[in-house]
Amino acid sequence: MTSLLLVLLLAQTEHAPQQAGSALLDPVREARVQALGKQLRCPMCQGLSIADSGSSAARAQMDRVRELVAEGKSDDEIRTYFVARYGEWALLEPPAHGFNWLVWLGPAVLLLAGAWIVARMVRRKAPDAVAAPAAPAPAEGSSGDPYLDAVRAELRK
Amino acid sequence: MSRRLLLGVVGVAVLTGVLFFAFARGFGRDPHEVPFMLKGKPAPDFTLTRLDTGQTLTLAQLRGQPVVLNFWASWCGPCKLDHPVLARAARRYQNDARFFAVVFEDTPENARGFAPLDPSFPVLIDPQSRMAVDYGVTGVPETYFIDAQGIIRDKYVGPLVDEVEIARRLKAVSEPLVSGVSR
Repeated sequence: MTSLLLVLLLAQTEHAPQQAGSALLDPVREARVQALGKQLRCPMCQGLSIADSGSSAARAQMDRVRELVAEGKSDDEIRTYFVARYGEWALLEPPAHGFNWLVWLGPAVLLLAGAWIVARMVRRKAPDAVAAPAAPAPAEGSSGDPYLDAVRAELRK
Repeated sequence: MSRRLLLGVVGVAVLTGVLFFAFARGFGRDPHEVPFMLKGKPAPDFTLTRLDTGQTLTLAQLRGQPVVLNFWASWCGPCKLDHPVLARAARRYQNDARFFAVVFEDTPENARGFAPLDPSFPVLIDPQSRMAVDYGVTGVPETYFIDAQGIIRDKYVGPLVDEVEIARRLKAVSEPLVSGVSR
């Protein structure tokens, strides 16, 4: 009775149900739909893929992906379809060409540059490390730290 | 030492140049803005059903006059603002262009409850929003301006509440394409 009341009440409101999404395909093709959906960027929520977003625009695009898969289009053809309409912007993973190489190679270049700098610093420090034991043993009452010694000497005065 | 100094200066200069180039590219555009890829391209054909008469309508039937397509939904707040403005414009410019309100991700029942059936601004039902995605719609409201040759000339994202803006775009779409733009 309560549920019936609730249904009637909800049906009365201004926010009637939106258009439902299309029916899922067979498991094999639906897996392709979901995999493609994960690669495409939702135009409304931007940070999410259309497979992960619940927005109306993402649902519309998922329905279109499903339809194109059902029509027998290849993954590449479907990606091309979306790029033709929403630009490369629609791809969550930028294709590796032109300016985009910066995104792909930039981190690797920075990592290599960092490794080079660290290697240089270690190599420069190495002679000091060897020289350290050869340094004269600190005098009696010395902490081995010249600054601390200087402070103590000042205090003794 | 001077060689190392030179190398350092050149290194910093190259790095600065690369960063400058990257930032100039990156800051020159709004990363949230979805590119409008179909500008100047033939509008994808569609076959949709009119909510008022139940007849099907194709884009090919509309060839020879400019077409204004407004994508909207009953659940979309801003659509409540621009729907009446567009309906008024549709009546005023009925000899210059055909106006259609395409339902996006919504049911015919909701559409019927939202908009008064207006013969000069007919509502079209787009099952599963297939045609909307064909046009590269990113959300509602969005309004497309197609010329008499079936070329998408312009699109307006957001509520189109300024009649002057509509008139300006209608005038632009009625003028022939400047040569050099892809047909």
